[in-house]
Amino acid sequence: MTALQPVPAGTLASLLTAIGSASVRDGGGAVTVPVPAARLETAVHHLAGAGARLADLFATDGDQVTLRLVWGLDTERQYLITETAIDDLEYPPLSDIAPAAFAEECEIYEQFGVRPAGGKPLNRVALPPHAGPDFPRLGHQPAQPPAEVHAPHTVGGQAFEFPFGPVRQVGVESLYYGLVTSGEEIVDLYLFTWHKHRGLEWRLRGRRPAEALFLAERAEGLSATAVAWSVAAAVESALGAEPPPAALLTRGIALELERLYNHAAAMAALCQSTGLSVGQAAAEIALERLLRVNAAVFGHRYLFGVVEAGGVRRGPDLAALQVGLPGGYGELRRAADALLATNSFMDRLEATGIVTTEQARRLGLVGPVARASGVAVDSRVDQPAAPYFGHPPAIAVRGTGDVLARFQVMLDEAAESVRLIGDLAAAGPGTGAAPLPGGGGAGLGWAESPRGEALAWVSLDADGRITRARLRPASVRNWRGFDDAARSQNVFTDIPIIEASFWLTVAGTAR
Amino acid sequence: MPLWFARGLRRGIVTTRYPARPDRSAAGLPTPPAFRAGVIDRRLADRLVAVCPSRALHRDGGVLVFDVGRCTACGRCQEAAPWAVTPSGEFELAGTSPAQFVKQIGLVQEVGQ
Repeated sequence: MTALQPVPAGTLASLLTAIGSASVRDGGGAVTVPVPAARLETAVHHLAGAGARLADLFATDGDQVTLRLVWGLDTERQYLITETAIDDLEYPPLSDIAPAAFAEECEIYEQFGVRPAGGKPLNRVALPPHAGPDFPRLGHQPAQPPAEVHAPHTVGGQAFEFPFGPVRQVGVESLYYGLVTSGEEIVDLYLFTWHKHRGLEWRLRGRRPAEALFLAERAEGLSATAVAWSVAAAVESALGAEPPPAALLTRGIALELERLYNHAAAMAALCQSTGLSVGQAAAEIALERLLRVNAAVFGHRYLFGVVEAGGVRRGPDLAALQVGLPGGYGELRRAADALLATNSFMDRLEATGIVTTEQARRLGLVGPVARASGVAVDSRVDQPAAPYFGHPPAIAVRGTGDVLARFQVMLDEAAESVRLIGDLAAAGPGTGAAPLPGGGGAGLGWAESPRGEALAWVSLDADGRITRARLRPASVRNWRGFDDAARSQNVFTDIPIIEASFWLTVAGTAR
Repeated sequence: MPLWFARGLRRGIVTTRYPARPDRSAAGLPTPPAFRAGVIDRRLADRLVAVCPSRALHRDGGVLVFDVGRCTACGRCQEAAPWAVTPSGEFELAGTSPAQFVKQIGLVQEVGQ
């Protein structure tokens, strides 16, 4: 995506004042500010207080570990990265200031062996318990293994722990639930996602961008286009490549088709979780028709292989799009209208799994989950880049934060995606890719997946090989809001409904 | 519920006769490649091996070895050499051992590209 111009104003200027620095690096899709370790806490305090959204936190290894915090300055339409070299094995406990950082603090400890100061217990997030010294890691092994999430709980009164998973029904992904309950109400909930860990970021090291994209689009198969786009954009930003405008239009069409089929799939999952089999069948007919539209337009039901670094490998078959899309979306709309008129379905959605606006902001949630809680965050608008400059989407927002709000946001977004696809198709999409210049570099890329903002940060050496790739699909962000939603006065049978309405993947978060 | 009952009556049965008959949508699915014998030499084989991201191809002397079980039908080999590689049209794979998915394509001596 297009490199941003340096804007030493607003949050950036005030951050520089707060940390007493004038050092700013522009380019690579973001403004980067080196922050000394001694000033990191001040910087995080300042940015969190200024309303910046902590979008990601990750580490890179070299002579020393470097922490990078990616901040969305959404009202200022740019990303800001703070870069801090860690001299010893500890850094300030950032999640005490920005709670959204906790999951990443745990992950960084597992992968690099550095931890927040203060000795707070860290959870196991990606590596399995049997991961020994030879288990592939991005950096050093921690001196002590991370404290187990399932370390003995203090469960008071009549509460007990109900284990569920990791093997679940039919084709649902591996996920272990620890449900703490007093019989029916959910008192607490924790998740193990490491069963699905594939070490993708580790596997991406040493790969060329074309090879990396093949793996990246499989990090979260249901967001193949979005994750691949974010990685491709990061590579393009790092190397200064400008994809052809027609190729960006093609990416936009693929991304909106991805959103459409995902929202149809979420609707089917909602019906299944509420026991409405006929509604599920109706939603799955819509889903199947939309997947066939994908296959007809791009040659793949799940839109794999469309995006490549510098552009796209395939252009859309616009005739197939024109023929297939109205029928597929019409099917979705008819099923949705019938569901909205079914009281027994709507009753299960209303006031279930509430995520408050404050929780959504505090945890840095993204996508339909955040937008249903009144947080209008959407990287297509907040961080606009082609093709959305000229074709901005209307953001769907609701305020109640319950399952019904998330369902309504998805329906509104599906309608908006159809409109956008029409606009983008009329603007002349095509195929082709810009050549990737050599020289190496580092860059940030993003795309608004059906689950929300997908981020990627990639550094390449002079030979064009990846030295570090950070993948941050939206699932990584939003699972951290799931337990809050599950605890908000819900009962056992609400959990599958809440999970369906979040419509996240375990693969995306476990990577 | 009457709504759904009436809707079901109006829509009728929406399903497929697959596998008794081929499903029409299968025609649009990506399928693993078929390699034309007699047109692939060692140099072309090495190019095909290089573009395969899932490592379904490797060359063993004068033979191109194709593991269909590893193929994701991404189409990169077909794009690289459309005169030598075409879609097989076979999307149904079944076997009792992984070895049954491995095909061997004999290579020819150097030919003009």
